[in-house]
Amino acid sequence: MSSPVIQTKNLDFFFNSGSKTLDDVNLVVPAGSIYGFLGPNGAGKTTTLRLLLGLLKKQHGSIEIFGKNFENNRIEILKRVGSLIEQPSLYLHLTAIENLEIYRIIYGCNKSRINEVLSIVGLENTGKKKAKQFSLGMKQRLSIAIALLHQPKLLILDEPTNGLDPNGIIETRELIKKLNKEHNTTVLVSSHILNEVERMATHVGIIHKGKMLFQGSLGELQQMKTKQTALEIETSDNTKSAQLLKEQFSIQQLNGKIIIPFQSKEQSAAVNKMLLQHNIDVYTLHPQQSDLEQLFIDITSNDK
Amino acid sequence: MSFAISLRAEILKTKRSAAFWLSVLGALFIPVIFFLMYFFKPEEFSVQLKSKPWEGHFEHGWQALSLFLLPMFVILTCSLIPQIEFKNNTWKQVFASPQSLGNIFFSKFLAIHLMILFCFILFNIFMLLSAVSVNFLNSKYSFLSTPVDWLALLRLSFKTYVSILGISAIQYWISLRFKNFIAPIGIGLALLITSLIIMQWEHISKVPYAHPALTFFDIRKKSSHLLTNHEWNSIGYFIFFTIVAFFDMKYRKERG
Repeated sequence: MSSPVIQTKNLDFFFNSGSKTLDDVNLVVPAGSIYGFLGPNGAGKTTTLRLLLGLLKKQHGSIEIFGKNFENNRIEILKRVGSLIEQPSLYLHLTAIENLEIYRIIYGCNKSRINEVLSIVGLENTGKKKAKQFSLGMKQRLSIAIALLHQPKLLILDEPTNGLDPNGIIETRELIKKLNKEHNTTVLVSSHILNEVERMATHVGIIHKGKMLFQGSLGELQQMKTKQTALEIETSDNTKSAQLLKEQFSIQQLNGKIIIPFQSKEQSAAVNKMLLQHNIDVYTLHPQQSDLEQLFIDITSNDK
Repeated sequence: MSFAISLRAEILKTKRSAAFWLSVLGALFIPVIFFLMYFFKPEEFSVQLKSKPWEGHFEHGWQALSLFLLPMFVILTCSLIPQIEFKNNTWKQVFASPQSLGNIFFSKFLAIHLMILFCFILFNIFMLLSAVSVNFLNSKYSFLSTPVDWLALLRLSFKTYVSILGISAIQYWISLRFKNFIAPIGIGLALLITSLIIMQWEHISKVPYAHPALTFFDIRKKSSHLLTNHEWNSIGYFIFFTIVAFFDMKYRKERG
């Protein structure tokens, strides 16, 4: 297996307020992956990405990108990284081409790249229109064009679909997949929407309140999800209950409790009703609480 | 080499920016006023400018500029150019691009100075044009028949430029610190007005915001040295505050 493109070790970060924004973050982004960096707003996603780009001074831990220490190889690493952090950063008094020209000079790419990236993001015909006259979607696309200009091996995108219409979201997602597939670009993309990450990522990292709760492939995440969401039942007659429940659910018995996969509140009510109808007293009936599960509820409830 | 790249990018950013238009309009303002004055009051001014027309013309022009407008222009330019990054949220993109902090810092500072020099050159050209054109309209003036003392003009421009160096470094530092552009402009204006009020103070040559005004008075005195005390002080402030500003940026925890 090839070495990871990004690897952080024991990354901590404090803002002046004193509370830990990041707590022991060990990010591993495999080469050639689309890594979905998932977490609710304020979880520490942007802070992590800003640390990776050197926009925040590292306080504790280590950052390696392309197998090299970031601080000692900042310029060399940044030459191969494209980034889009938070809202679009464009010179609003300049046209799309002029904006790209500034970064073309800095990265030293060919003039032809400007038209290439403009056609990739579908902004070929903006002519003399200044960036301030662009819609938010166009601004976002131009920012992505800037990030792609120098054909980076690693793309760091912070909530790239924020503020885009449904069409724009799909296009951005397809673009990320295409870059990954055709140019083998490793993409680290953050999002607060589980659904979105599931549709494009090969790997997922979940951060909550500054801590990594999960990291692995998309398949591992799916497994984790079903395992974590369970309904715990304790009754006066567990043996009889188990037999009844077995007809409808895959059950597990653990420490005098029955555990079945949790589906919905209505399911809990139905289970309760069924047990009572068979003259079984129900002592406990509740979904297993775990940080991760609560987190999924947070993440999915944002998916509107 | 890499510095030249950063500088080119910086210059591109000022295209059509507020700072660019300020330079053009700032340079145009006084020559236009002079043109109107000469045009409507030829009896008065043609007599006044009889003996040394160019010297009088340029001295009056630089006088009108140096005391207040020029330091104000420097304060505004030092804020407007960093503001391009603040306003557009582009600092993060700049710091995430493969440029050393030194190149980022000094290329922007040099872009500011090129903008100031651009304004100087325009100002001199516009002053020249205003005198020549008024002479075409009214033959009482003797601008067309008298040669321009280029060396004196160069000396005047150079000394004035040196006199604003200190202000430029202080203002650049303040402008990099504050996202809100009212702060550097407010601080600069307050310091400028204060120094004009205390012009009679014996230590006034140590006050950077008074240096352009002092240079103007010095020009009238026609001292033999190219640079006088306060101009050396201006260079000293420039070096000191440029270093302070650079290390302040370098060691800041948060960028962009």
